[in-house]
Amino acid sequence: MEYKVEAHRIMSISLGKIYNSRVQRGGIKLHKNLLVSLVLRSARQVYLSDYYGGACLGSQRAEAGEWAEGETMESLEGRSSPGAAGADSCESETESRETLRAPETNAQASVEVAAERNAEEPASSSDYNWPQGGETDEERAPGQAEDSTQVPSCPVPESRFECGAANADEGPQSPAAAAPCCTRKRSAGKSPYAGSPVKRPRPGSVPPANTEGGDASEDMDTGNVSSLITIFGSSFSGLLSKDGAQAEPGAADGDSGSGTICCEQMLPNLSPWSTAIVAF
Amino acid sequence: MLNPIQVLCSDITTLSLEAKQSANYTEADIISTVEFNQTGELLATGDKGGRVVIFQREPESKNEPYCQGEYNVYSTFQSHEPEFDYLKSLEIEEKINKIRWLPQQNAAHFLLSTNDKTIKLWKVSERDKRPEGYNLKDEEGRMKDLSTVTSLQVPVLKPMDLMVEVSARRIFANGHTYHVNSISVNSDCETYMSADDLRINLWHLGITDRSFNIVDIKPANMEELTEVITAAEFHPHHCNLFVYSSSKGSLRLCDMRASALCDKHAKLFEEPEDPNNRSFFSEIISSISDVKFSHSGRYLLTRDYLTTKVWDLNMENKPIETYQVHDYLRSKLCSLYENDCIFDKFECAWNGSDSVIMTGAYNNFFRMFDRNTKRDVTLEASRESSKPRAVLKPRRVCAGGKRRKDDISVDSLDFTKKILHTAWHPAENIIAIAATNNLYIFQDKVNSEMH
Repeated sequence: MEYKVEAHRIMSISLGKIYNSRVQRGGIKLHKNLLVSLVLRSARQVYLSDYYGGACLGSQRAEAGEWAEGETMESLEGRSSPGAAGADSCESETESRETLRAPETNAQASVEVAAERNAEEPASSSDYNWPQGGETDEERAPGQAEDSTQVPSCPVPESRFECGAANADEGPQSPAAAAPCCTRKRSAGKSPYAGSPVKRPRPGSVPPANTEGGDASEDMDTGNVSSLITIFGSSFSGLLSKDGAQAEPGAADGDSGSGTICCEQMLPNLSPWSTAIVAF
Repeated sequence: MLNPIQVLCSDITTLSLEAKQSANYTEADIISTVEFNQTGELLATGDKGGRVVIFQREPESKNEPYCQGEYNVYSTFQSHEPEFDYLKSLEIEEKINKIRWLPQQNAAHFLLSTNDKTIKLWKVSERDKRPEGYNLKDEEGRMKDLSTVTSLQVPVLKPMDLMVEVSARRIFANGHTYHVNSISVNSDCETYMSADDLRINLWHLGITDRSFNIVDIKPANMEELTEVITAAEFHPHHCNLFVYSSSKGSLRLCDMRASALCDKHAKLFEEPEDPNNRSFFSEIISSISDVKFSHSGRYLLTRDYLTTKVWDLNMENKPIETYQVHDYLRSKLCSLYENDCIFDKFECAWNGSDSVIMTGAYNNFFRMFDRNTKRDVTLEASRESSKPRAVLKPRRVCAGGKRRKDDISVDSLDFTKKILHTAWHPAENIIAIAATNNLYIFQDKVNSEMH
């Protein structure tokens, strides 16, 4: 467990360095930021893999494993193209959620990125989208059961895991039970379903960070944090956004606006993130 | 002629303490580069404020044999000024990243100095005579009233106090998008190269509006960037060969005869990583901060965060020698990452005969390794231990275990006092050590006793 704490600490230090580099005299130092991003990526990998090995279903469940579960979920949910449209609304619904969603979306984004790397998943990712807000409990039940199996792949999975497990255990009541779990992180008036974890993003949807960032203004957190994780999950592009000397057209263009905000929002979000983990 | 390190480490004396005496210094006074010229007569330092100070060695005096060879200030000039790139909203630091002397071809001396973006060629010349007896001008330079001129005279050169003039002869600008980290003059004395994080350009010393790109490691998609160029140098004798080091710990030797763009290396020097030492910071500590060809041209000296390595040009799969500079820091990498010390770029140097290598460390310590005897020594560059003519005492860092008297423990090392820049006289055992804002020059005592 101490590895995770250490990795988490290193990640926050690294993000702080990247943020500070934007205001340093002489412009952004490409070499130093590259090294910091490598450390950040290593720490993130340890953080995620440590989670897999620790809390959930054993270290055997590597990233490849999550897709197997995902496919199971796919058959259970039986969603494909109808889900696509649903996913859109689902996603925008997600955008309007509060900070708890940030780590969740993080997880999703990182999972999504990892998934991109591991699996040639076509755009049936809509299968992994969270069931619609208007879903009935019966439809939810299988979704919740899947939640618990999907949970391992999320970095903030403990919260989801417990939520999901609680949901699975309690069946139809579980949305209500889940709601209190997550309510304190959610704004009033949201549907209980909104708080339920495990929204699977479509692989194709995350890269346009500007879309996410440009959405609901109140939730810059969600979009930017997920895009930040995407940035560091995929590679180095996120560091280029602010530095005119190094920015390349088309390389992480979408990050340019959200980049600074990412860091700014990420740093405070790291604390609630860990708080959420501990709480759940 | 050149003494082994056994003598060097026990009898090294302070030749002259050319220190800026103020204990409180500004950031602009921090020395950022040190370089001897090819004869060792001149020593140039650059600082963060964009200034260059040149020291000259005094000729030996027969009257006072112990005063021979002191370095005194020869010239000071402002090489680079801070600039602002309005297009990119970036400030360009005036810090001098590197100075390289050109081989001397006439009475004047030439050096190249560079900041992050612009390289300048400076001419350093002496003037010790001036013409007197102009017909049209009087002594103050005012035009004479022609009616007072009754006869013609030939102006004559009269001696004057020595004046050192420095003028910028060439300005090589707009060649680099990224920060220039190295410059290196070719052995052909006509061209030189400048390296930034992703590209290396070849310039002609006489042409400022054009340069040739010879290495470009910028990926088409910047998201795929994995390594940057950290240092580059021309081979001392073969004008077609150069080497560049990367942040991944590899060295590439390139031959300019092979193609115009030397992206494909002729040789790749890389040592596989030791899996036992894997940590979060493995990539950072394997990044090479400096690379130097030996004077013979046969070997390469590299410095990464914890070690310095000697490579044989004929063997690519591993270095022939590895020296631990401060391995006791390996367990402290996390704190060093937090305080940014892990990003410090230490330089390394060969002695004239390629038998001893030197590099800096923390707490104003610097280390020398004798390649033949395998002995090493740690010395300190500090005001207290470096009174003129004082003999430097070897220091020791205690990393736990038995602690001897005068040992410094790892936890009491001062990480703000770092020796990043060192230089060794090309022929004699004289070394220049830059410790923050102070320059120390040490000489081998035996050497001086010979005179």
